[in-house]
Amino acid sequence: MFDYTVITNNIGLLWQGLLMTLYFTVITISAGLAIGLVVGLVQLTTFWPLVLLGRIYVEFFRNIPLLVTLLWVYYAFPIFAGVNVTKFWAGFIGLSCYIGSFYAEILRAGVQSVDPGQTDAATAIGMSYGQRMRRIILPQAFRRMIPPLAGQSIIQMKNTTLLSMITVPDLLYQASYISSFTYRPMEVYTAVGAIFLIILVPLTYLARKLEKGGVSAK
Amino acid sequence: MTPTKKTELLSLDRICLQFGARQVLKGVDLNVTEGEVVVLIGASGSGKTSLLRCINLLYTPSSGKISIDNEVIYHEGSDKKVGSKITKREVNRIRSNTGMVFQQFNLFPHMTALQNVMEGPVIVKRENPATVREKAMQLLTMMGLEQHVDKYPRQLSGGQQQRVAIARAVAMQPKVMLFDEPTSALDPELVGEVMKAIVDLARTGMTMVIVTHELGFAFEVADRIVFLDEGVIVEQGAPQKVLLHPEHPRLKSFVGRFHESADLLRPFLEARMKENS
Repeated sequence: MFDYTVITNNIGLLWQGLLMTLYFTVITISAGLAIGLVVGLVQLTTFWPLVLLGRIYVEFFRNIPLLVTLLWVYYAFPIFAGVNVTKFWAGFIGLSCYIGSFYAEILRAGVQSVDPGQTDAATAIGMSYGQRMRRIILPQAFRRMIPPLAGQSIIQMKNTTLLSMITVPDLLYQASYISSFTYRPMEVYTAVGAIFLIILVPLTYLARKLEKGGVSAK
Repeated sequence: MTPTKKTELLSLDRICLQFGARQVLKGVDLNVTEGEVVVLIGASGSGKTSLLRCINLLYTPSSGKISIDNEVIYHEGSDKKVGSKITKREVNRIRSNTGMVFQQFNLFPHMTALQNVMEGPVIVKRENPATVREKAMQLLTMMGLEQHVDKYPRQLSGGQQQRVAIARAVAMQPKVMLFDEPTSALDPELVGEVMKAIVDLARTGMTMVIVTHELGFAFEVADRIVFLDEGVIVEQGAPQKVLLHPEHPRLKSFVGRFHESADLLRPFLEARMKENS
């Protein structure tokens, strides 16, 4: 028996949770893009200590499970550093660093996929490194990076559900709270799944359209 | 320096280039006077493309000295902060004294033909876009591309793309034009139009260094042909001498095939030479 009143009676809590999820999705994607841009570009220099540093960053955050990163930043890091980290900051830092490492890889691969002849041609007309990147390489790389960036960002929205493990009141946290006093996990978690589907299916579709557009624009 | 009729524009002095353990260029001397068209020929791996890329410092020689228009642009060790100090900014400015045309055209695919030609003068030289636009239109018209100025590279044929690439390089008003096998990537029926554009440009008095496998084209366009073999110049001279009366055994075997066809083409070639002189 599916009892809709469980959802309708607690729609306010779910709404708050959804806002929190969207909020974290947006801010961690923004911060992650900034991190990814810096770490990605650093890896494209010829100065090996920077390249190595970028590499270490990427492999570090890509290869530790996100849940472990979040728990570590929230519970372990404050003990190491002797500082107080709120759950919001822990969630923000953990998720941003994680997505940043993926964005960095996408950026690096995107730039490296641009034909080296483009760099030759830009260099030959006297362009500096900055001019080459800004005018010639990055515009071509970004076009190719749109599909993987979109895909990774969709994964990021789903990953925000891990915030519930460090008690950030996101959608999943609110759902488990509601089921704890209604004893109706079936209705509540079904609703959460449906909400993600409703938001992400159109976005996935949009990403695929962008991908097709990106290919035809070369 | 001995006084000559024409001024020396490009001078390479004992240029060596090393990639790891492989010595690509083993001390190349080459002087090009103003308005001269020098064609570099040689087998694959002889170092002709590498030599060309040293002239605009796309490759940094391991030793030697390069000057353009009496300005030293590379001197042994100048990249290692010893000897003459040439900063990165200087290198970029120096590079815009040379224009380069590549085998694979390398047009910027996200820009129209016109934008490709305008990019250098506007972004690097910071010239007025309106003036540059006018100049770029003239250049593209000269290249026979007035119908195609607003097209993207992917909408153009290989021959058209290469002519845009020539216009892009010329727009920077270089002192020397460098061509790296400009017709090798083209379909046979498109080779002619690109060759014609290069010959026309040579007739305007542009100084050029051209790497090509098309010996007939070399014969037609060159003032001097330089034959490279395993990183050294083994023979050079006027086209008739190098192609029709080679002395060095390596050159003899290299132009052997050309000889056969040259015999067939001799009447045509002689007529062409009379017309040129």
